[in-house]
Amino acid sequence: MGLLLAGVVAGTTAALRSAVPSVGGTPAPELTNTSWLNTHRPLRLSELHGRVVLLNFWVFTCGNCTRTVPSLVAYDRLYRERGLTIIGIHTPEFPPYAGEHDKGNLARALTRQGIAYPNAQDNDRRTWDAYGIRYWPSFILIDKRGMIRYTGYGEFHLDDGDFRTWDQRIQQLLAE
Amino acid sequence: MTQFAMLVLAMLAVAACHGSPPFVALEAGPPLRLVAAPGVRINARLKPALELDDGTVLRFDSPRVTPDSAYFAATPTVAAPPSRSRHGTLRLSVCPAGERLCRLVVMAVAW
Repeated sequence: MGLLLAGVVAGTTAALRSAVPSVGGTPAPELTNTSWLNTHRPLRLSELHGRVVLLNFWVFTCGNCTRTVPSLVAYDRLYRERGLTIIGIHTPEFPPYAGEHDKGNLARALTRQGIAYPNAQDNDRRTWDAYGIRYWPSFILIDKRGMIRYTGYGEFHLDDGDFRTWDQRIQQLLAE
Repeated sequence: MTQFAMLVLAMLAVAACHGSPPFVALEAGPPLRLVAAPGVRINARLKPALELDDGTVLRFDSPRVTPDSAYFAATPTVAAPPSRSRHGTLRLSVCPAGERLCRLVVMAVAW
């Protein structure tokens, strides 16, 4: 019997970032995804100025992501009418053979999770790369001027500390 | 050398090469086995894949998963065709304890 294992290639070495505010922010890269669900046309950040935007990078095969979805659904219910737009950026982990790229599979996941907010298929990782994302799930909170104000990652749950932190950030940006 | 010793050596090789903790090691078996490092959970909703150089994709699986079906509860295995090449690319999604996130791990492997 022989055994040799060589080399972690991708996605495992970066130090964890904390979700910290960036006063003033940096311009959020434009969304250029072409395949969307829960919206009749592709969304562009340039058309969303005046609204607060929360990007959620996720994939339906990730338990940490799906366990966070109830919190996002709650934010959508609480704040959509007050000016929050939540956008799921669905970024597969594996090549297409795993089924994550399939629009029908994603549509079923949205139904299963009760997700009514728009989702972009980021099958070529263009948005993942544009934002420098490393982990599932990750979050980008963008203010009404299109500036990135808060970033973070990791599972959270309804009414836990992280839920309340993101809730406060959303309310802060909605009030500006 | 025992199988355990070889496993440890493989894990150390990964750590030494890249300065990050090893998440899993591949045991040659047969069958091929994916052994998670302590505290590391392997995503069962996205079955680990071994992509052989000839294009064949082998998917690891285990009959035992956690109650929410999110992670393997027993070591996932796969039978490698004896005539195939014995090297390729291992791709898996891991969720280290306490991190509350998923990481993609891609490794060049040989056995």
